[in-house]
Amino acid sequence: MVYMVGYRRSIAILPEEKLVPYQNRMELLQGTLDLLILQTLMWGPRHGYGIAQAIRANSGELLQVDAGSLYPALHRLEKKKWIGAEWKVSENKQDVKVYKLTAAGRKRLTQERTRWEQITDAIAGVLNPAKKENQP
Amino acid sequence: MKQWWNWRKRETELEKEIQHHLQMAATERGERGASPQDAASAARREFGNVPLVKEAARDAWGWTWLEDLCEDAQYGIRMLQKNPGFTAVAVLSLALGIGATTAVFSAVYGVLMNPYPYPKSDRMVHLTVQETIGEPLFINLNGPQLQQLRHAASIESVAAMDSWDLTTTEGDLPEDVQAVYLTSNGFDLLGVPTLLGRGLLPSDAPEGQDPEAVAVLGYKFWQRHYNGDPNIVGKKIQLVHKTYEIVGVTRPRFTWGDGEVYLPLKLTADPVRAYFPMTRLKPGVTRAAATAELQPLLEEFAKQTPTHFPKHFRVTLAGLNDHFVERIGGTLSLLLAAVGLLLLIGCGNVSILLLARGTARQHEMAVRAAIGAGRSRIVRQLLTEALMLSLCGAALGVALAYGLVQVIVNWLPEFSFPHEAAITINLPVLYFSIALALLTAIVFGISPALQSARPNLSAVMQANTRKLTAGVRGRRTHGVLIAGQIALTLLLLAGAGVAMEAFVRMIRVNLGYDQRNVMSVGIPVHDNTYTTWEARGTYFRQLLRKVSELPEVVSAGLSTNATPPNNGWQTRFEISGKPAGEEQRLRLNFVTPEYFIVLRISLLQGRIWYESEQMRGAKLALINQTMARKYFPNGDAIGGQIRLPEMKGEPPFQLAAPESDGWFQVIGIVSDARNDGLRNPILPSAYVPYSIMMPMFTQILVRTSVPPLAVLHAVRERIHAVDSDQQAGRNARDLESWIQHEPEWEQGHLVATLFGGFAILALALAATGLYSVISYAVSQRTSEFGIRMALGAMRRDLLLIVFRSAALNVVCGLLAGAALTGILNGVLGRWIQGSSLNVPILLGVVFLLVATSALSCFVPARRASSIDPIVALRYE
Repeated sequence: MVYMVGYRRSIAILPEEKLVPYQNRMELLQGTLDLLILQTLMWGPRHGYGIAQAIRANSGELLQVDAGSLYPALHRLEKKKWIGAEWKVSENKQDVKVYKLTAAGRKRLTQERTRWEQITDAIAGVLNPAKKENQP
Repeated sequence: MKQWWNWRKRETELEKEIQHHLQMAATERGERGASPQDAASAARREFGNVPLVKEAARDAWGWTWLEDLCEDAQYGIRMLQKNPGFTAVAVLSLALGIGATTAVFSAVYGVLMNPYPYPKSDRMVHLTVQETIGEPLFINLNGPQLQQLRHAASIESVAAMDSWDLTTTEGDLPEDVQAVYLTSNGFDLLGVPTLLGRGLLPSDAPEGQDPEAVAVLGYKFWQRHYNGDPNIVGKKIQLVHKTYEIVGVTRPRFTWGDGEVYLPLKLTADPVRAYFPMTRLKPGVTRAAATAELQPLLEEFAKQTPTHFPKHFRVTLAGLNDHFVERIGGTLSLLLAAVGLLLLIGCGNVSILLLARGTARQHEMAVRAAIGAGRSRIVRQLLTEALMLSLCGAALGVALAYGLVQVIVNWLPEFSFPHEAAITINLPVLYFSIALALLTAIVFGISPALQSARPNLSAVMQANTRKLTAGVRGRRTHGVLIAGQIALTLLLLAGAGVAMEAFVRMIRVNLGYDQRNVMSVGIPVHDNTYTTWEARGTYFRQLLRKVSELPEVVSAGLSTNATPPNNGWQTRFEISGKPAGEEQRLRLNFVTPEYFIVLRISLLQGRIWYESEQMRGAKLALINQTMARKYFPNGDAIGGQIRLPEMKGEPPFQLAAPESDGWFQVIGIVSDARNDGLRNPILPSAYVPYSIMMPMFTQILVRTSVPPLAVLHAVRERIHAVDSDQQAGRNARDLESWIQHEPEWEQGHLVATLFGGFAILALALAATGLYSVISYAVSQRTSEFGIRMALGAMRRDLLLIVFRSAALNVVCGLLAGAALTGILNGVLGRWIQGSSLNVPILLGVVFLLVATSALSCFVPARRASSIDPIVALRYE
C-alpha cells in the first residue's frame, strides 16, 4: 500500500485520480509536509523532484508526495524565506531550480520537530494509557 | 511595473520547474524499462493536473487575483468592442462628466488648494486693518516703521516692496515695464529659487549706500521681451535711461506683485515714503497672537503717519489667499457642485445602459453561476467591466479637460485669483481624475452588478427567451434612475437659469454714461519728475491738449481716478452747517470739464467749472443726483459747501492745490452714472478739478470717431512728443473692456456660461438616458405590442402606453427636482449674487425638460407603434 502525502484542494474529478483509491490516502496536517520538506533539505540542496524521491525512499516507499501539494508547499516555504531557491545547470545542461535550507528554515525545523514529537507522544499516550500507568 | 516583471518571471520559472519534474520522472521510468511514450504519460499521470498545480503554486505567492483581473479586463475589452454603440454612449457620458469635473477641480486645486510656490506660505501674511465698515485696507509703512516692525516678537522676517511703472528706453516708443522694488531680503523671504542666475542678495543693497544697478527679470517679461533668451544673465537692460545688469530670471510661478523686473530697494528714512510690507510670522505663532501684538504697534505708527491709516481701525492679518478665497472660492465651489451633478447624471446614464445590458446577459450570468462562479466573482467581473468603461471615460475626459481648463483660465476674473496659481492638468489633478474614475465605476457599476449577479438560475435556464413583458424589478430600478436624472437636471438647469438671468440683467444695466468708442489711456508719472504742483498740472494739461489735436479724436478729458464703472476715491466728507456722521462717505473724482462731454454725462443743474478756475485749483465741486437726493433733500445743493478732511497732499508724490482740505462750493448737479460696479447701487459722488490733487498717474479718456484702439498708437506718439520718456500704461483699453474686466462681470460671465454649458450637457445626457430606457422597454415589449395590435389596438393607444410609462418617472423626477431646487435656493442665492430662483425661471426650466423628455420618448414610441404585428409576434 502506498500513502499519498498531501492535503488537496477540492478539485474536479479527473481520470488519473481513480488510480489511487481515496481511502488509501493519508491526509496529513499541513505542517507535516513542511516538516518533511525541511528535514529532507537538512541533508543538502535538492530540486523538487529530488525532494519527492527522497521522502519516498526514506519512508521505505510508503509516503508518496503529490506534486499538487509539493510545489505549492515549496513556494509557500520560499515566500516565508525558510528555504531559498537557486537556478543551477544540471548534468544534461538543463536549468534546474534547487532548494536549500535557510537559517530561518533550520530554526523552524527544530520547532516543527519538537511540535511533532509532542504530538506523537501525546497520541501514543492516548493510544496506550496502560503503558503510562505502568511507568511511574 | 516591477511587480509585473516579477510575476512574468515566476510564471516562466514555475513552468520550467514543472517540466523538469516531469522529465526526471519520465527518465527514471525509462531507466526501469518503460518505453519513452509510456514513461512520459505515466509521469504526467502521476503528476496530476498541471494547470491546477500551477494555480495552487501561484496561490502561494498571492498572484491569482492579478490573473483574474487580467482575464476580466481582457474579457471586458472584448465585450466593449462587441457593442460599439453602447460603449460610445457610456464612455462619452462619463467623459463629459469626468472631463468637466477634472477641469473645474484643476481650477479649485490651483486657486484654493495650492496657489503659491512660496514655501510655508501659510506663515506669510498681509498687514491689513479693518475700519468699522468696508473692506479690509492694506497698510503701507515707512522705513523707520518697517525697521521697528522687524523686531516684533511674533514676526520672523519683514521685507518691503514698492512698485513703479518704468519704461524701456531702447525702442522707438517707450514701453511700460512694471517694476517691483524689493528689499534685498525679499527673495529670501519668498524662498523661491530663480530659474536662471540669482535672485536679489543683501549685497545688492548695502546699508547706507545706493543699491546696485541689478535686475532680476520676471519669467513672462523674459519670454515676451527677450524671447526666452537662455544667455540673458549678464546682459544689460535700460530702464528710464538707467542701465541695469540682468542677474537672473524668476521661475514661471514667481509672480510676486506681478513684477516684470525686480530691482533692489533701499529703505529711506523719509517718513512720507511708504512701502508695502511683506511679513512672515515665526513658526507656531497664531494670527490671533500676532494681531494682539501688532495692534498697539500699528496704533503708534498711525500717530506718526496719520495719512497712511484710517481714523479708527482694528488690525487684521490676512493670509495671502484670503482675499481670493472670498472673491472666487464660492464661485469655484458652485461650479464644482455643478460638474459633480453632471457627473452623477452621466453615471446614471451608464447605470441605465448597464442594467439594460445586464438583462440581456442574464443567460451568460446564469451559465457562469451554474458552472460554479461565486456571486462575488461575478460582481468582481462586472465591476472590472465597469472600471474599463470609466477608465476609458476618464482618459477621454482628461483630454476634454485640457481644452476646458484653458477656457476657465481665460475667463477667470483677472484679479480674483493669485497669478502664482498654476491652473493646469497636473499630477494631483490626474490623481483626482483616476480616483474619480474608480469612484464612478463603483457608483454606476455596483447596482447593475449586484442585480446581474443574482440570476434566478432555474428561471433563466428554463425560460423561453420569448417573453411577453420584462420583469417588474428591472423597470422599477430604471424608473428610479430616470427620475433621479430628471431631478438633478432640473436642479442644474434652474441654477443655470438663475445665473444667466443675473448676468443678462447685469449687462443690460443702465450705465448712465456712453461707453461706446471711448478708451482710457493710463499715464504713469516717473519718480522725481514734475514734482511741483504747477509743473505737474501744466504737464497733464499739455498731454491732454496734444491728444485732443488728433483728427480721429472727437473729445478727450482727464480722469485721474474716474474711469467708470467703478471709479472715484472713497473718502469722508462734511457738509457745511450739518453735523458730520462718521460713516458719511462719497466717491471723489478728479477730472477736467471735458470728462462729462466724453462720457455724455449730462449737467442737470448749475454749471461746470471753467478752465481758468481749474488752473488756479479753485475749490469747486459737482455732485451726482444720488448725492443731491440723499444729502440735499431740500434742493439746496447748489451753493452748499462740502469739505473733504482726508484730502491732503504728500509731496513729491501727491501734489495738492493749496488748502485742499478746505471747503468746496457745490456749483452743479450731474446725472447719475455707475460708480460702484455694475451690480451695486450708485454711490453719492463728487467731481472736483483734476488740479486739486495730482498723484503719480493720470488717465486720459478719449472719444474717437473710429474704433478707439486703432488710434492708440497715434495717442502714444502724441504723449511721446510731450515727454520722450513718457509711456502709456499697458492696460490701455476701451470702456467696453473696462466693463468686461469688472470682477462681477467676469464672474457672472464665467458662471453663466459654464453653468449654462453644463446644464445643456446634463439635458442631453438625461435625454439620452430616457431615450435608452424607453427604447429598451419598447424592444422588450415588442411581442406584447404585437399582440395588442393584433387584438385591435390603434397606434395612438400604443403611443399612449409608452408615454404613460415614462410620464410617471418624469413627473416624479420633476417634483423631486423642484423640491431640491427649493431647498438649495438659499445656497444658490448666496453664490450667484443679485439673483435668486423665481417662478418664470422654474416654469421655463420645467417646460424645457418636459419638451426634451417628450421628444426622447417620441422616437422610440413611434417605433413601437409602427410595429407590424406579424413581425412582432415572431420577434425573438
